[in-house]
Amino acid sequence: MSRHWVLGEFGSSEALVAALKDLRARGFEQLDAHTPFPVEETFEALGLKRSWLPLLTCVAGLTGAAFAYVTQWFTNAVDYPLDVGGRPLHSAPTNIPITFELGVLSAALTIFGALMLLFGFPHVTHPVFDVESFRSASVDGFWASVAVDGEDAPKVEAALRELGARQVSVVEEGAR
Amino acid sequence: MSTADPQVPAPGDPLTEHPILEGRHSDRAYSESLLAFVHRPPSRTWWALLALGLAGTVLLTVAICMTLFVGVGTWGNNIPVAWAFGITNFVWWIGIGHAGTLISAILLLFQEKWRGSINRFAEAMTLFAVTCAGLFPLLHLGRPWKFYWLVPYPSSLRAWPQFRSPLTWDIAAVSTYLTVSLLFWYVGLIPDLATARDTARTPRARFWYGLASLGWRGSAKHWRQWRTGYLLLAGLATPLVVSVHTIVSFDFAVSQLPGWHTTIFPPYFVAGAVFSGFALVITLLLPARKAMGLEHVVTPLHLDNMAKVLMATGWIVAYGYLQEHFFAWFSGNPFEIHASEAEFLGPYAPLFWMQVFCNVVVPQVFWFPRMRTNVVVLWVAALLVNVGMWTERFLIVAASLSMDFLPSSWAPFRPTWVDWSLLGGSIAFFCTAFLLFLKYVPAVSVSEMKELQREVDASLEFRREQGTRPGGAP
Repeated sequence: MSRHWVLGEFGSSEALVAALKDLRARGFEQLDAHTPFPVEETFEALGLKRSWLPLLTCVAGLTGAAFAYVTQWFTNAVDYPLDVGGRPLHSAPTNIPITFELGVLSAALTIFGALMLLFGFPHVTHPVFDVESFRSASVDGFWASVAVDGEDAPKVEAALRELGARQVSVVEEGAR
Repeated sequence: MSTADPQVPAPGDPLTEHPILEGRHSDRAYSESLLAFVHRPPSRTWWALLALGLAGTVLLTVAICMTLFVGVGTWGNNIPVAWAFGITNFVWWIGIGHAGTLISAILLLFQEKWRGSINRFAEAMTLFAVTCAGLFPLLHLGRPWKFYWLVPYPSSLRAWPQFRSPLTWDIAAVSTYLTVSLLFWYVGLIPDLATARDTARTPRARFWYGLASLGWRGSAKHWRQWRTGYLLLAGLATPLVVSVHTIVSFDFAVSQLPGWHTTIFPPYFVAGAVFSGFALVITLLLPARKAMGLEHVVTPLHLDNMAKVLMATGWIVAYGYLQEHFFAWFSGNPFEIHASEAEFLGPYAPLFWMQVFCNVVVPQVFWFPRMRTNVVVLWVAALLVNVGMWTERFLIVAASLSMDFLPSSWAPFRPTWVDWSLLGGSIAFFCTAFLLFLKYVPAVSVSEMKELQREVDASLEFRREQGTRPGGAP
């Protein structure tokens, strides 16, 4: 049975949040909201957990910084000692700038990479884009989507209409 | 469409006299008005400006070819003035880039509501300015095709870069800064590219914006992660800005040359960077705001705030001048004292006094509230600050070098046409990139404006419930 997405458009973020809560109460799972700007209440209504991105960033930043410091120490003090005016070969203060920069660089690249993985991007051919009216999701429409098996789709459609959706459509995975 | 509510003060601040958004607009109206310039065919003015910019870029290319094929000898550099226009332009450009990150990242962390209208402009400026900046140290290397020697790759030469030299720090700082700025800008841009995709008028535009927005669907799960990621990037970019210009100032401060060898340099350079960067944001924003019809999101409140920032950072820079000369005198070191006196009275004195006029005297006009929102005054003042800051960088680099410890080795610096072409050409290249950005990228964050409108609505609602007059103290 292929996956279907049932999409319903609501007129405002308040109506969308109410509908999401109701859908969850009716026991539907795999819910999502599509809004033109982040709506805090939808996160709560969907029961999204806290992001682990900050922790990952911290680890990546520290790893990058450690790598940079070790590289500088190894190249200038161990592998190829170069006496420059009698200065210490392993001089911590002069290693700090690059250590900091590389820590920031690793953290930033990790954030970007993690976001792409989490979003599953690039994914420009997602089935929801087949619905022309869904294009309002980035302009002024507030959409709820429920991912279900094909046989449950009519049930979800009815539920969305009952909750006051302005329009409802169903898309199927791999329909194209 | 929209009903004008003439007095909507900034949310949470009943004491501001200018509204943060002019009028009440629907989400659709925002999507249309902010992307109108992107979807419209370009105007004649835009083409004319682009032609000018491209002509200047050709000049830049010629100057770069001269430098590469003939050598750095085509510049006016000499010994003792081994660093001149090249490093001046580098410091100036990278400083300009800093305002973008400052507006975006620091104001985001401080939850300043007025950043949303101008952050995308400023960040795009950062990207192009850092690109221009990176060009100069590379060309200045003398053998630019060997630039990768500065990176610790396992080479067959069995030699490693010398990490106690500020030049290697520069490479790390500038490349990190460019990468992080690009990521920060792009992550913030993805939702708006999706809006551009969904409002596109031609299949071709829809295809390209669809590709660029990577398949953004505005999913709540994505929004939440996006928000966290964006905030984290801002948190990283904030110390990065400070560190990058600090490292740039180390290029000077780590040496022993009178006029460079001082501990005030890092904060003084960072303040100067923000100062010149804000000036350029104002210089570019005012005409763009008019041409693109953005008066409803870039209101007098934004101009007022930017003028205040310009004045505040101007004072920090003025303090830097004062400290520099005070410590030269206080040190009792004859070489330092001479470098300071030479600035006041020596061959570069006219430039020095021009710099004092542009950077210290001009910003004082913003003590008058009327001047802060007067478009003409603001634009002229910002332009003068740009000139003043370039002069300041030039004086730091060239004036200190031309008169060092031994009078026998003093020599003046005379720029050649290649020097001027590199400076003018890089400005033209910057303008070309900026024009293309205005045409192809949503220049104001659409999703943030919609969010901001909700906040303004909520704050007005709250005020109505409290029964206070808008604009009055509660």
